[in-house]
Amino acid sequence: MNESQLIRKAIQGDGSAIRSLYERYSPRVYAVVRRIAGDDDLGNDCAQEAWISAIRALPKFRGEARFSTWIHRIAVNSALQAMRKAESRQKREVPITETIVASETPSSDALLAQRLEWALDRLPGGMRKVIILHDVEGYTHDEIGKMLGTAAGTSKSQLFKARGKMRELLKSLNTQDNREESETWSI
Amino acid sequence: MEHLSSEKLAYLVDERPSPSERAHLKSCTRCSEELNELRIQSHNLLELAALRPSPDNWESLETRLVNEGLIRNKQERFRRFGITALPIWIQATAAILLFLGGAGFGLNIGKDETSNALSLDKIIASTPEIETADEAARAVVLAEQAYMQALLHFRQFSDKDDENQMDDPLNRVEALEGLLVASQEALRLAPTDPLFNGLLINVLSQRQEMLKQISESR
Ligand SMILES: [Zn+2]
Repeated sequence: MNESQLIRKAIQGDGSAIRSLYERYSPRVYAVVRRIAGDDDLGNDCAQEAWISAIRALPKFRGEARFSTWIHRIAVNSALQAMRKAESRQKREVPITETIVASETPSSDALLAQRLEWALDRLPGGMRKVIILHDVEGYTHDEIGKMLGTAAGTSKSQLFKARGKMRELLKSLNTQDNREESETWSI
Repeated sequence: MEHLSSEKLAYLVDERPSPSERAHLKSCTRCSEELNELRIQSHNLLELAALRPSPDNWESLETRLVNEGLIRNKQERFRRFGITALPIWIQATAAILLFLGGAGFGLNIGKDETSNALSLDKIIASTPEIETADEAARAVVLAEQAYMQALLHFRQFSDKDDENQMDDPLNRVEALEGLLVASQEALRLAPTDPLFNGLLINVLSQRQEMLKQISESR
């Protein structure tokens, strides 16, 4: 079944068509909401809200944009909305020395990805949103400004701060690795 | 020598340097290396793969989609109205009737047409006002219990006649009565639903036929 047939069936409430759309797009939807949320639980909630909003809005999907772009935008909006709510609550502080726990020996690519995710989770919310939307998702500063309800200039300055902070976090991880390595050698 | 700030270097990841910044980068290894690292970092972020959510996420999403009426498949619809809580023989009858009835009927059946020998309407009328699917499910179960009691009386009465002959049609009426209650409760929540209307029409005509058979056999 092609995508427009799936969408038509999903609008009619067909569970397996909705499931197929979910299988196809849930990794991209989950990735963006989880990263913006900076936390697994909030990420899961955001992903569910995003899908509910998308399926509800499906009859309004006119096919002018690609479905992937359309659902991605809905996902970003619902994550940003959830963040606004969460930001009013107390932000958890994670010590910088917390190490990355790998379930199995990761490849160098997987380790790099883990480090990046780890550092993204530790950025302040405002910086994290902008660096994810710009550097990970490829939105322009104008688009980000509209999504966040701020000026494009604000998005830029947040991005530059975020890149610097991210770099510091990753450097701190490297320093920690080097220290651990030298300790191992000194035994 | 004054180095470029971290924010300035982050800006230079995708913006052109001014002549003085360019001159500094040419002469300062520390700043040019740092800029290079920042560029690699942004490149790596762009390359980050999508993340697969936990399989549990679909299950809880599916439940919500069904509860909000966004998934409206036949079996999910029945589940939504609590019909899976009914005994298996009713579910089996439901499946057969769904197959026979399809979703082609767009009619609403008035209550008057449902009156029959077992006066099930009294039971239905005694169920409380129903607002939610959960309440419908509970009401269906209650109506079921009430109906079973009524049926027991009916069976004791009919036992005076030929028991074996009565057994099969009675079981079938039993199933139909349960289904009738379930579909009527469902129609209260979704009065224009063609599926439930079709179901109800089928139940009523089949029950009529069975009751005729029973009264002829007595
Ligand atoms: Zn320098």
